Amino acid sequence: MGEPSIFFSEVNERQGTFHRRAFLMGGLTGVGLLTLGGRLAQLQLVEAGRYQKLSAGNQFNFRLAPPPRGLILDRSGVSLASNRPNFRLLVSRSKDMDIDKTVAELALLLPMDEARQKRVIRDIKNSPRNAPVAVMEDMTWEEFSRINVRAPELPGVTADMGEVRVYPFGGAFAHVIGYVAKISDRDLKEAGPNPEPLLLHPGFRIGKQGVEKALDVELRGKPGANKVEVDARGRVVRADPEGDIPSVPGKEVRLTLDADIQNRALEVMGDESGAIVVMDCRSGDILCMVSAPSFDANRFVRGLSGPEYRALAEYERKPLLDKALSGTYPPGSTFKTMTALACLEAGINPEERVHCSGGWFFGGRTFHCWGRHGSQNVHDAIKNSCDVYFYTMSLRVGPDRIAQVARAFGFGQTFDIGIPGQKKGTVPDREWKKRAFKRNPANQTWYPGETPSYAIGQGALAVNALQLCVMTARLANGKKALNPRLIKSVGGVERPHGDEVPDLPFSQEHLNIVRGGMAAVANDTGGTAYRQSQLGLGDVKMAGKTGTAQVRSYGSGSRKMTGVPWRFKDHNLYVAFAPYDDPRYALSVIIQHGGMGGATAGAPRAREVMRVALLKDPEVRARIERPLPMPELAPETTVDGVAPDAPIETPTPPAEAAPTPAPAPETPR
Amino acid sequence: MTMSALTRPGERDRLIVKFKEIDWVFCLALCLIAGAGILMQFSIAGGSWTPWALSTAGRFAFCFALMICLAMIDLRVWFALSYPIYGLGLILLLAVEVMGDISLGAQRWLQIGPVRLQPSEIMKIGVVLGLARFYHGMSGDSARMSWWLLIPAAMVGVPVLLVAHQPDLGTAVLIAATGGAIMVLAGLSWKLIGGAALAVGMAIPPFVMFVLHDYQRKRVLTFLDPENDPSGSGYHILQSKIALGSGGPLGKGFGLGSQSQLNFLPEKHTDFIFATLAEEFGFVGCISVLFLYGAVIFMALRMASITHSHFGRLGAAGVTATFALYVLINGAMVMGMAPVVGVPMAMLSYGGTVMLTMMIGFGLVLAARVHRYSEVTSGKGTLL
Repeated sequence: MGEPSIFFSEVNERQGTFHRRAFLMGGLTGVGLLTLGGRLAQLQLVEAGRYQKLSAGNQFNFRLAPPPRGLILDRSGVSLASNRPNFRLLVSRSKDMDIDKTVAELALLLPMDEARQKRVIRDIKNSPRNAPVAVMEDMTWEEFSRINVRAPELPGVTADMGEVRVYPFGGAFAHVIGYVAKISDRDLKEAGPNPEPLLLHPGFRIGKQGVEKALDVELRGKPGANKVEVDARGRVVRADPEGDIPSVPGKEVRLTLDADIQNRALEVMGDESGAIVVMDCRSGDILCMVSAPSFDANRFVRGLSGPEYRALAEYERKPLLDKALSGTYPPGSTFKTMTALACLEAGINPEERVHCSGGWFFGGRTFHCWGRHGSQNVHDAIKNSCDVYFYTMSLRVGPDRIAQVARAFGFGQTFDIGIPGQKKGTVPDREWKKRAFKRNPANQTWYPGETPSYAIGQGALAVNALQLCVMTARLANGKKALNPRLIKSVGGVERPHGDEVPDLPFSQEHLNIVRGGMAAVANDTGGTAYRQSQLGLGDVKMAGKTGTAQVRSYGSGSRKMTGVPWRFKDHNLYVAFAPYDDPRYALSVIIQHGGMGGATAGAPRAREVMRVALLKDPEVRARIERPLPMPELAPETTVDGVAPDAPIETPTPPAEAAPTPAPAPETPR
Repeated sequence: MTMSALTRPGERDRLIVKFKEIDWVFCLALCLIAGAGILMQFSIAGGSWTPWALSTAGRFAFCFALMICLAMIDLRVWFALSYPIYGLGLILLLAVEVMGDISLGAQRWLQIGPVRLQPSEIMKIGVVLGLARFYHGMSGDSARMSWWLLIPAAMVGVPVLLVAHQPDLGTAVLIAATGGAIMVLAGLSWKLIGGAALAVGMAIPPFVMFVLHDYQRKRVLTFLDPENDPSGSGYHILQSKIALGSGGPLGKGFGLGSQSQLNFLPEKHTDFIFATLAEEFGFVGCISVLFLYGAVIFMALRMASITHSHFGRLGAAGVTATFALYVLINGAMVMGMAPVVGVPMAMLSYGGTVMLTMMIGFGLVLAARVHRYSEVTSGKGTLL
């Protein structure tokens, strides 16, 4: 290879062209690289902010953090509805997910039978994409950790800790507080086209009844958000607690109820069906409102199975019905207080006497009394629950006057106690008949024969337990048209009291006469509920009125309650207030089909519940525990209000007291 | 070493002299680019040498040694082997067409015993060598405009069609563009260049609409309107742009690129590795790497220009053109300026085949420099 020739042998046209073109190619490449650099500058310098936002949007995600639901407390702060931790298994559907396979693998880790698996698969398939479905609730710690360990291999599967509503007293408050349950399609539809995202959260429960429903929005709170870092498949890589937006817990709701009284009330109901309502006669606060039999609200939180629900719905004694508010019953003889007041207001002399011979003939038929009471004035008639007196007097008063008094005492209306479900009941009078039988003019006339039945609380008259209690409270209070109150405060804000109301338009003197009659019922040895109304709390005494409401016509048959099917037995009622000389608490008891005589089933239960209420009241307690004044005279001085020859009964548990009938030959009706 | 020593006959054939003639700055630039690639592969794997970084480092070491060895080979040997290599590549391409493995919906691989070959990669070098060899024996006039030009056109066209039919559009475009570049460098008349450019420009729309496979057409259409389907086929481009843009001037830091670490970026270790780099090292990092690429390209072109033999010039320049095309096409794709085609960022992306091809090519470039005075006759090879 001769070196010098190299420089010249190839110097030709081809080389020159190549050099020019290579230079051009280099130039073009340079332009290309500069273009790339310019583009980089545009993306990374000019538009960096925009892309940084998009990148953060990819990287970070806000997961809804449901707020803890507000607590529901009783008047002294005992928790009636709270929240407890709950290990849940969530599955969210993603694009590249084999649902069947995932569920099959879950079934190896958790107890899931075939049917359950099928339901889970269907639920997941029906769910919107990336909205997690709660596949299993209330997992044990072992199950929870098992899922957490395996979750990285199971796309879309997460186990988390949520909160679930818990009702510590189970059934005692089920009707008042209601319960929360999974949101239904109807709830969603009511929420409008753009429901809050919280409603779609798998752990969310919506209030379905009672306080939970009425104050759902207040109890719900405001959801927060947890900031998490996610990968492209949406799986959480890391939590970023500093970026969390805290949730606002639901408001705390305080009720006027008292857990002790409420629990005792449900306890004494046993397996009877009915309701007990207790009110504070001075403030109108409802201390107890029980409907029996009840149900465990906790079961509804998780969701009832079909057979469970059917068992509740089909049981003859209707546990799902709130008998304190939604069940209406004829008040029976408890209504004689109203009739008596109507008579007095109509100008009938309280000392005027009517002779009871066990029956009363009117309009071609005999109206029976439950006994032969002889000569009765209004006090005696209440004490003995004498029908004949009220039959006779009612004709002179007329139905409209009775209805007017009944309405003034709260019948035929609902009260604003903050929860739904109250039934108005019926207070009949001439006007009502015209409205009720609009289509059938023949029935519009008020027949005189209807009035005597009305006077003893039968006929078309229908009331609920709350109304009965309000009536008793207004009678006991003697002055104010007291309104009941159930919600004490919401989020610390006090709800208006029930005692800021006008006075009753009745004469104090007449009210005293009726109250005197009621005191005699419970404290005179001849009173219809004397034996069952002894509180055993010294000079703190109860006043009351018994009632029996027929549910069928006896015809000429036996009035005995033995051997009669449950649903044909009479309703058994009792209203009471105590202490009768300084009324604090009013109470009503309805025992559905409890059998004859308010004294047998109603009064013993009323006594037990009333004792709890009285003993919880510090002032009453102080009065009970006050040492007796030392007698200066001879020891034969008798204690007021107790007949000297009557044994002082010690209160016995209701289980024993209830089936023991009063030894009286006939029980009052 | 003085001029006089190098002018001594036979002096330049000594291995030690050849070794010193290698452009070591060029080699350093290549090492830096590969190093950046290994670094990114390490980062994407979550700070782990497996599965990518270590194997890339090993491959690069092997390829680098191979490149140095190839640089020692006299241009006359390259010259003599150019047609056989081209012919072998063509035969293998035909073999793939007949009996290749189908992987990922495309016939690209050929299994010969334990070796998996991708003949389209061999053809990248084959076309360069074949065309350089052909033009070497051609006069400047006929290289400008003559019927003889049909031969190089066919030498490019046949493999391009075969590769396109696999289908591997990215490689086909790359081979076609490389062939075109060599023809231009060899002195193709501007009239013919203009005519060809016009014809290609007119052929593209019908080609896109009727010849391309659905997925290829979708990519092209998505490129034209990426916002149309952000979670579908526009996803790649959008996520890549987010990765680039969110890097900002200085980047998110090594190992902290959320787009790549959290898998939002597809093909993050191969085709879109530049976006990963951009995210973690920002504008400064990107410009540095682009500068290295530019340096490699210009040094390679300079080496091509100082080579005396036409074969060496065209061969080296052809390899440089391939490399530049890789960089420009991938860069444009990653930055949302070109449709998504399967063209990796040469030397940066994970993938042994492209690295091997390019390093063999750079072996030729260095060989052209080392043997720039070597007399390549227009006749048959003198050594073989």
